[in-house]
Amino acid sequence: MAKILDKQRYKCALAAMQTVQAIDRALPVLHSGPGCAQKLSESTGSSGYFSPNIFPCTSINEKDVVFGGVKKLETTIENALKVIDADLYVVLTGCIPQIVGDDTEEVVSKFADSPKPVIYASTAGFKGNNYKGHEQVIDAIVEQYLEPSDTKQKGLVNIWADVPYQDLFWLGNYRELSKLIEELGLTPNVIFGYGNGIKNIDLIPKAEFNLLVSPWVGLQNVRKMEKKFGTPFLHYRTLPIGATETSKFLREVGSFAGVDSAKVESVIKKHEDYFYYLISRYADLFLENRVINKQFTTVADAQYSLAVTKFLVNDLGLVPARQYVVDDTPKDQREAIAQEFKNLNYGIQAEVSFETDGFKIHEEIKQHDYHGYPLILGGYYEKEVTESLKGNFLNISWPVQDKVVLDDSYVGYTGGIRLIEDIYTVAVQRFN
Amino acid sequence: MAEIRQIAIYGKGGIGKSTTTQNLTAGLVEHGKKVMVVGCDPKADSTRLLLGGLAQKTVLDTIRDEGEDIALDRIMRTGFGGTRCVESGGPEPGVGCAGRGIITSINMLENLGAYTDDLDYVFYDVLGDVVCGGFAMPIREGKAKEIYIVASGEMMALYAANNIAKGIRRYAKTGGVRLGGIICNSRNCDREHDLLRAFSKELGTQLLYFVPRDNVVQRAEIHKKTVIEYNPQSNQAQEYRNLAQAVIENEMFTIPTPMTQERLEEILMEFGLFDNIEDDYHI
Repeated sequence: MAKILDKQRYKCALAAMQTVQAIDRALPVLHSGPGCAQKLSESTGSSGYFSPNIFPCTSINEKDVVFGGVKKLETTIENALKVIDADLYVVLTGCIPQIVGDDTEEVVSKFADSPKPVIYASTAGFKGNNYKGHEQVIDAIVEQYLEPSDTKQKGLVNIWADVPYQDLFWLGNYRELSKLIEELGLTPNVIFGYGNGIKNIDLIPKAEFNLLVSPWVGLQNVRKMEKKFGTPFLHYRTLPIGATETSKFLREVGSFAGVDSAKVESVIKKHEDYFYYLISRYADLFLENRVINKQFTTVADAQYSLAVTKFLVNDLGLVPARQYVVDDTPKDQREAIAQEFKNLNYGIQAEVSFETDGFKIHEEIKQHDYHGYPLILGGYYEKEVTESLKGNFLNISWPVQDKVVLDDSYVGYTGGIRLIEDIYTVAVQRFN
Repeated sequence: MAEIRQIAIYGKGGIGKSTTTQNLTAGLVEHGKKVMVVGCDPKADSTRLLLGGLAQKTVLDTIRDEGEDIALDRIMRTGFGGTRCVESGGPEPGVGCAGRGIITSINMLENLGAYTDDLDYVFYDVLGDVVCGGFAMPIREGKAKEIYIVASGEMMALYAANNIAKGIRRYAKTGGVRLGGIICNSRNCDREHDLLRAFSKELGTQLLYFVPRDNVVQRAEIHKKTVIEYNPQSNQAQEYRNLAQAVIENEMFTIPTPMTQERLEEILMEFGLFDNIEDDYHI
């Protein structure tokens, strides 16, 4: 029996075109119906080298359904190679060609000798959401483009974390993670964002290890790379926000990479000193304001829900109400992620629901007693319900409608401070 | 003017749907009926006997080569006794979506005005298995209201017929489609007549007609003709005339009651074997 899914927080797998866009000079080539790209692209900040949603596309119609769209795909790729100067062409297949059974692999294989690499990813909407689509694109790069490397570059670390554009802060977060890794004396390698691109993709097999900073997205990718390139991986499930988690993160990465612990501690000390200097200066605000009550709820993907929960409990001493993970987390990953929500300081445990139905989430929020003004950190969908409860709302996860983020970040010590600023900016505005 | 009787013929692949449909059509033509046959099989061999060969260009070929802005006579040919013959056609094996092709071409026929008021019968000859929604197109959206299933006494033919009945029941609930009966295209199995009658009864329908096996059918096919055209005096030609008569006179249209696999096998055990030769079965 079909049911209504209210306020869904993700798009279909074809939205992985955003993952491709986040790679400098990489171009999505869509094998899909004519409206797909337009519907899937609404994120700001994706124009630049190429358009945000006008890509080479087969725009398949009824005739292509009946007779197959492979010839059209072939000419579309051919012409894309002729008229668009890109470093990597990623063919993404939508629902229609995959239902019809178009053999995209066979068409793409004809471009094996083209001067620029052409790969493809199966991103039919019925295969899953854009978190899965993102993984498909990374898998495609690993499987079809990269070859194992005989030599490893000492200290080189591939960083995999946020899903670009789905996470508003992706660019800032990757840059901040890179900075932290660099401070440990390691060399970060990120394929997304400014100054990165195909040269960073080429470095992937040379890395000493993969660092996955994510509860579940990307796990299949690092496992694949372990198998194909022999690259070990460190799976750090929590995006580090604030001093507690970031210091823990640095220690764990340092230990995995064999960095001298004295060095790790000196990096941590430098950051923590400044972090707590700021916290202590504003302690009055945190302790005495009466609008940020103790209980909070996050409504976000596993990445943000977990990261923000840990930060608010461990660094700000808030108490978690129920937390909502809305990314349709694969069932086999849920238990491990739920355990992380129980692994908080002071013996505090957070209850978590893996729930994609916004209606249900809102009903539960309305029924919960937050012992004061609720603090809700979620998507824009949560604004209205929070206001109806006279709560404090911060838009941290998709969809984001009330802020523009160019390269801001919530990651690390600095990111923790930014998040505090944002939360208490909301709080102090109540008195204006 | 009476409403056009639109009839879909289903049945296991290779059971003789096209042969039966075309010979039945020839019988109806002799009764002075105006008939259109729409082949719904990518192999496009449903009108070969009426047209004296496979020379016809299919609807989908035409759409592919010339687009959708075409005249009806580009896709419709006149065959034996003035029958109108159309082949839906389909993509090359292994590519595209044949099911969607059937939907596309039937829509095309409608748009081009192929269903004229002077027609008495339209037959849809659908490929063996109703593998997806496209192959159910002729019985959806109020097109064919009558269905006949061609079967024989062979286990797999009955299994397929029962399965097809499930599809008919689905569409019967929402639309007006009904099962008009089973047409047996005999394979000379053990007690075939009894078995088919029992099977039809269990399915909540009738054995409309039992077409015996006769090699004249094969000879006519080689000559690209229906039996009625090839050898009008033969017994088999008379059988097809009788079949046509049975279709014309048929008034029993039911929603089928498909059976479980267990029940189907019980019926086979009960009716499908001659006594005493259980362990001595050879052809």
